[in-house]
Amino acid sequence: MKFTLKVWRQPARDKPGRFETHEVSDVSPDTSFLEMLDILNNRLEGESKSPIVFDSDCREGICGACSIVINGRAHGDGEGTTTCQLYMRNFKDGETLVLEPFRARAFPVLKDLVVDRSAFDRIIQAGGYVSVNTGAPQDANALPVPKVNADLAMDAAQCIGCGACVAACKNASAMLFVGAKVSHLALLPQGAVERERRVLSMIEQMEAEGFGNCTNEYECEAQCPKQISVSNIARLNREFYRAKARE
Amino acid sequence: MNLVSIVKKALMALTGLAWIGFLVGHLSGNFLLLRGADAFNGYAAFLASLGSLLYVVEAALILFLLLHIYSGLRVTLENRRARPVRYAVAATAGRATVASRTMAAGGIIIAVFLVVHVKMFKFTSHQDVNNGLWGLVVDTFKEPAWVGAYIIAMLAVGMHVSHGLASAFQTLGLIKPRWRESFRRTGFAIGWLLAAGFITLPVWCYLVPTN
Repeated sequence: MKFTLKVWRQPARDKPGRFETHEVSDVSPDTSFLEMLDILNNRLEGESKSPIVFDSDCREGICGACSIVINGRAHGDGEGTTTCQLYMRNFKDGETLVLEPFRARAFPVLKDLVVDRSAFDRIIQAGGYVSVNTGAPQDANALPVPKVNADLAMDAAQCIGCGACVAACKNASAMLFVGAKVSHLALLPQGAVERERRVLSMIEQMEAEGFGNCTNEYECEAQCPKQISVSNIARLNREFYRAKARE
Repeated sequence: MNLVSIVKKALMALTGLAWIGFLVGHLSGNFLLLRGADAFNGYAAFLASLGSLLYVVEAALILFLLLHIYSGLRVTLENRRARPVRYAVAATAGRATVASRTMAAGGIIIAVFLVVHVKMFKFTSHQDVNNGLWGLVVDTFKEPAWVGAYIIAMLAVGMHVSHGLASAFQTLGLIKPRWRESFRRTGFAIGWLLAAGFITLPVWCYLVPTN
C-alpha cells in the first residue's frame, strides 16, 4: 500500500512547527500504524534526516503512551483502539494521512508528535490514589462490594490516561479522564475514606493545569480507546456537589 | 472571580432550566393570541394584576439571564484559551451536533432578540392601538420582515435548548447511563417543540386576523 503523510514537525517546545510531507510505499496492509512510522523513520535516518518523534511503549493498546491525531481523530478512526492497534489495512490505499500532536494548552508539544502529558500525572498526584493502610490481607468477602459497583469501577479503571479525551474535546477538557479516575475509586470501599478530599483536589488541579470546560458534546467518549462512558462525568459532577455539600 | 468549572456550569444549567420553564409558561399563555383580543388582553391584564409578584419573577428572570450569560461567556472564553493551536484537520466522531457547536453564537442571537422583543411588546405603549396589546402584536406581524426575524430567533432558541436541556441534566449529575438517550431525545424534542410553537404565533398573526 502507498500513503502520503503530512506530519507535524516541531523542533522543540515553544518553537514554531509546520507540516512536512512524506510518501511511504510498499507498506504491507498488516503493518501497524506505528510500524509504518518506524519504516519511514528508518528511511529518514538512512537519508541523514531527523526521524519523526512520536510516543509509544507497549504497542498492545494497554499502556496509554501512544497518541497522535490522525485525520482529525485522536488515535485515528478506529473504534476503541489506540494508535498502536491501528493497522494500515484500516486505511485506503493512496490515502493522505494528516498526523498532528494532541492539541491542548495543558499538553504542550515537546517535539513533533510528542506532547507533555504530565498534567495528568499531577492530577493523579492530587488525589487519584488510596492512602489507607490496609493491614494484613483479610478474608475476600469481609468487604462486600455490589456487583454493579464492581463492574462500574472496573469500567472506569480501564482508563489508560492517554489523553485522547482531551485531544478529542473541542474545549480540550479533561473531565472524562478525571471522571474515570474519581469514579473508579469512589465506587469502591477502599476509596471511601478520601472520597470528598479526592474529588475536590483533583478538580482543583485539573483547573490549575488549564484544561477547558466540558460542554457535554461527548466526542471524548466516542474517541476514547477504552470507550470510557461519559456517565463517569455525570458521576464526577455528583461527587463534586456531594463533597461541596459536606465541606 | 475564580469559579470551579463545575460551579460555572451548574449555574448555567440551573438558570437555563429556569428559563426553559419560563418559555413553556410564556408559550402556553401566548397561545391565547389565537383565541382573540379579549382572551389575550384579559391574560395580559391578569399578569399585570399580579403586581409585585410579577416584578419578583421578572427580576429573577433577569438575574438568571445575567448569570447564564456570565457563566456562558466565561466557559466559552476559557475553552478557547484551552486550545491555543487548532487542528489542521477538524473531524468529529459523530457526537458533535450543529447545536452543540453553536451554543455561544445562538446565545448571542437570543440575547439580541430578547432586547428587541421586550422593547417591542413590553415597553411600547398600546393605549392608542385598536384592540390593545393583542392589536399591537397582530399589527407588528403584518410586517413580513418581523415574522422572518422572529422565525430566525426562535430557530436559535430551538437549537440552543435542543442541546442545552439534556446537557443541563448531565452537568447536574442527574443522568444515569440507561436514561441518557431518553434525555437527549427529550431535550431535542422540547427544544424544537418550543421553537415550532413560538413560530406558529407570528405566522398566524401574519396570515389570519385583521385588526
